[in-house]
Amino acid sequence: MHIPDGFLDLSIAAIFYLMTMSVVGFSLLKMSKQKFNGALIGIVAAAIFAVQMLNWPIPGGTSAHFVGGALAGILLGPYAGCLAMTLVLVIQGLVFADGGLTALGANIWNMAVVNVFVGYYIYRALERTNKSVAAFAAGWLGITMAAIFTGMEVGLSSSFKYSLTTAVTVMGTWHGILGIIEGIITTSVVTYIASMRPDLLEGRAETAPGKMAYAAITVMIVLSPLFAYTAELVGYSEPLENVAEMLGAEEHPIYEGLLPDYTVPGLDPYIGTIISAVTGVAIVMGIGYGMRRYA
Amino acid sequence: MIDARIKLLGTFLLIVLAVSTFDPMKVGVIFVSSLILAAFSRIGIKKVLKRIWLFTLFSFIIVLPLTLSFRVEDLLYVLLFTLRVATSLIAIQVLILSTPFNDIVYAMRGLKFPKGFVSTLWLAYRYIILMFTELMRVMLARESRRMTKGSHMDLWRKGGESLGLFFIRTFERAERVQLAMRARGEKVVAIKGSFTRLDKIYILFMAAVTLWWMAI
Repeated sequence: MHIPDGFLDLSIAAIFYLMTMSVVGFSLLKMSKQKFNGALIGIVAAAIFAVQMLNWPIPGGTSAHFVGGALAGILLGPYAGCLAMTLVLVIQGLVFADGGLTALGANIWNMAVVNVFVGYYIYRALERTNKSVAAFAAGWLGITMAAIFTGMEVGLSSSFKYSLTTAVTVMGTWHGILGIIEGIITTSVVTYIASMRPDLLEGRAETAPGKMAYAAITVMIVLSPLFAYTAELVGYSEPLENVAEMLGAEEHPIYEGLLPDYTVPGLDPYIGTIISAVTGVAIVMGIGYGMRRYA
Repeated sequence: MIDARIKLLGTFLLIVLAVSTFDPMKVGVIFVSSLILAAFSRIGIKKVLKRIWLFTLFSFIIVLPLTLSFRVEDLLYVLLFTLRVATSLIAIQVLILSTPFNDIVYAMRGLKFPKGFVSTLWLAYRYIILMFTELMRVMLARESRRMTKGSHMDLWRKGGESLGLFFIRTFERAERVQLAMRARGEKVVAIKGSFTRLDKIYILFMAAVTLWWMAI
């Protein structure tokens, strides 16, 4: 899954460098605010590196190796897990030339951000139901999502002549199948640790969002009508709608939705937009609260 | 020895120049420049080519089906795509083979990479061999106690348990190392200081290559 140099357009590589630097930078910040255990992150990274070298036999005479992104997230939490996988990928790139230098941002994004965070949150969402199922789903879906991102990055690059559909289908399908192995190994390790040292898997829940986070959300909600008003002043409209207008394409929705085009049927459009915004925020915050409370 | 900071940046520059174009002349210039660096760094072109041929072939095979269109531009694309990958691989191999990883880590610190990141990177690198040996010990101990051949299912179950045990040992080792580090203190040294004559020659070479690339 390691993308080498030459497969990605520089613009795509630069975007993923920026995105990766933001997430890894934020993870470093989070870890430095907590009790930063550099030895734990470094040594688990070395352990994951060693485990990646093992080839697991598959009936039929072939084998596959473990990636370990979801496991890193489950064992260390998402931020430390992200850092551990980043270290593995940097060493692989700068010592073994596995993965390119210009593609390092994209590689870290796929295997240290998507794989770790998707794996971690799936595990957290399902662990109360069944730890084994949760670990399997985390390992399997984490690696499959990472592969789909890899397909998107190379598919969107004009340097790589295969289409987006081909790249995503090939990467998604193969890793969807190989990901089952990742899921099984993640399950084996997590269930063993849960039975022998359950303390290692507990107490890794994130801390509650701070007051600053709530204040920022409140400020954005309060200011949102101002943004809507100023957007109206400068005549902003959706780029996709502009393109549709240029091409003469018309909208034919299959289902209008409860609040069509962010309005409430029969009400003034501005009031309708505000009601839609409040409803949207309430739904998202409700889901967020539910996930924190029950996941 | 050339300053690792300059080598790291120079390698990145060479790769960026190689992968940002499909102009045969421009890619060719970077390819030749990378080979010149390999030759002058006393690594030897043969050794570098030995290390890159497999992945270059792999990249060639990936894009090979495009030649089935029998169009000249597709054939040219396949060749240039492979050459770009090969050039990038040569550039990175020259860096890897001529620079110890600790120098790369110190260079990162010198280039103002975050301290926490660099120190954990250095620690992870130092422990890779030890952790691999530990993993082998766990696997060997399990294997030596196994009395039957066992099915695939059995192998997977035992393998999973071994890995679980390995990660428990990893955590325990990490705790010991963390305590030892706190007791002793640890510092990652950053490469600082002025450039030597060799560094300046390397910088001039990179500038000349870049100008040549731009002028073509």
